[in-house]
Amino acid sequence: MFANFRLSLTWLHTWFGLVLGFVLMVAFFFGSMSVFDREIDRWSLPQTRIAAQPMPSFDRILAARFAQMTEPDPEQRELAAGRVTQPLPEKLKVTTWSAFTTHRDPVLSMFVGFEVPNSTLPDDQIFGDVTIDPRDGRVLSRDQLPIGSGFFYPMHFSLHISWYGVGYWIVGFAAIAMLAAIVSGVFMHRKIFREFFTFRPTRNLLRSTLDLHNLAGVVALPFHFLWALSGLIIFAGIYFPVIETMMHPLVEQHEREEATHTGLDLEPSGKPGRLSPVDAMVSAAKEKWASRGMPGEVGFLAVTHVGSSNAYVSIYRDSTDRVATAEGMHFDGATGRVIFEDPPVGPVETVNGFLEGMHLQQFRHWTLRWLIFVGGLLSCACIATGFIFYVEKRKRTHARDGHAGSRWVDALAVTTVTGMVVATLSILVVNRLLPENLPQRDLWEMSTFWLVWILTLVHAAWRSSALREARMSKAWPEQCWTIASLALSAAVLNAVTTGDHLGRTLSAGYWPVAGVDLMLLATAGIAAVAARKLQARARARVRDTVADNDTTLEQEPERA
Amino acid sequence: MAATTTQSSWHVLSRICAGILGSYLFTWGFVALGATALLAAGLGFHEATDLVSMLGFLIFLTAFCFAFIAASLTRVWLVLAGGGALLTFAGWCLSRSLA
Repeated sequence: MFANFRLSLTWLHTWFGLVLGFVLMVAFFFGSMSVFDREIDRWSLPQTRIAAQPMPSFDRILAARFAQMTEPDPEQRELAAGRVTQPLPEKLKVTTWSAFTTHRDPVLSMFVGFEVPNSTLPDDQIFGDVTIDPRDGRVLSRDQLPIGSGFFYPMHFSLHISWYGVGYWIVGFAAIAMLAAIVSGVFMHRKIFREFFTFRPTRNLLRSTLDLHNLAGVVALPFHFLWALSGLIIFAGIYFPVIETMMHPLVEQHEREEATHTGLDLEPSGKPGRLSPVDAMVSAAKEKWASRGMPGEVGFLAVTHVGSSNAYVSIYRDSTDRVATAEGMHFDGATGRVIFEDPPVGPVETVNGFLEGMHLQQFRHWTLRWLIFVGGLLSCACIATGFIFYVEKRKRTHARDGHAGSRWVDALAVTTVTGMVVATLSILVVNRLLPENLPQRDLWEMSTFWLVWILTLVHAAWRSSALREARMSKAWPEQCWTIASLALSAAVLNAVTTGDHLGRTLSAGYWPVAGVDLMLLATAGIAAVAARKLQARARARVRDTVADNDTTLEQEPERA
Repeated sequence: MAATTTQSSWHVLSRICAGILGSYLFTWGFVALGATALLAAGLGFHEATDLVSMLGFLIFLTAFCFAFIAASLTRVWLVLAGGGALLTFAGWCLSRSLA
């Protein structure tokens, strides 16, 4: 196994790629969905199918809404109750208010931070949040799940496992395995340039699977590497909380020095204070941006030390026309005067900001957005063909020796390739079928997703018995047909339940919904073609008893 | 896999642990000493911490691959866990002298 450099890397590539590949499929597939998260939100929340809105007036809309947000998220409160030395008081003290929007958001997310007294963590805060219609401040019901940003997006980095943040660690480790698989894959193959142009779809399945694996890997090599790496960098504070834990005195010292330098107080003054009009501060910030030749809208607005005489308001320009996030302007809450402006960032933070901004894509560039989406799907294709290669290479010996290895890999591959798409489409279908005002509608939707996904695993495990005779599992074509019918149903149901059929959305140029519908139809088409091809292949296999001759191939020495 | 020498499952398990836990400890040490050394050298706080945490993942990747490539498993453990502990200790000492 570890006898030499090449064999060690091959072992690493095969086994870490296989085990964590299932996690990586989830991360890259739902990551790709998250590229269009706001568009999927519009599709799943018909009442929000309006044009994107800028940050609304603070004084007219936001202030009153913030004042009503007096409770943190119950789940966060419960978690906080577990890390305090004294029982949590009934009413928690509000520390911060903030609101965030991008050029693709017709709705606005608002957050309120609460102090956690007597916590074992330093500067402990928990949050409450609401989503509002920025035109009138109306709150969107919590039972309405924004499937893109509220379900697919957190899935791709946390797997929705909130218990001790375990989901983040699993995905983080999978990202390291991805990087290691890329490095080992490059060393295993050497003929990178040639593989760029090599795809022999008509050769036997093992050969063409490996070609496709290499092609998908090589074509988007920088994407695979940079997205896994930047994903890790975004959560560096979770994965390596070195400075915050081990060197806390150093952090405190830095914070004190920074506060002296900027004039932004670390702690509330303890004296009550009133906020002067924030809209005036926003206008001042916009004027300043315009005077520097970079007019823009507000992306993020925050009030720190809410209700205190030393409260301050931070205003950040949005990132519509650039990759990295913006420098902020900080105003004295009481007087409305500028206290401090963030200076331009240095080279290290520019690189850091670029890597994170590239991954999060708050900029407006639809060509790039589509390329990133395709990159994510190529990552999925690379991982999926890895699974198929594993199975194809071993299924005969495993069948002969009564070994269940390739059977299980095949079942899990079906579950994370077609099964995941079936579950994804199910949540969209059920989103259009459930009554609009059903209590806990979000819970119904999410439960459907998990239940369907488990069913696809059961189906795949049952059908994988074909692997015992080294035949293809029928789960592949059957789940492809399921995808085709669900995708078609989702598009039809959208037209029936909302009236926003493609004729209307396309002629109105309402791309968020038209785009999702078109992708659904494309998915249905591709899945139907795939299902037919798979079934034709299975029939040919049955007829052609000399099938085995067709699949012998010259053993590739480096993949031995 | 069959054609090559197979190792005992303990050896494989030890390699995997070294690859994951050893690399984590080594990277932790790298971030600890790296950040404090850069701070001591006069870099800004965020510049120092951002730089080492970005490089940290590449260090982790290198350590992870090293754990499987290196011929001697003893050396892997010594370098990753031993080195990681040393780096962490050095970083901690340096941070106390800075604070």
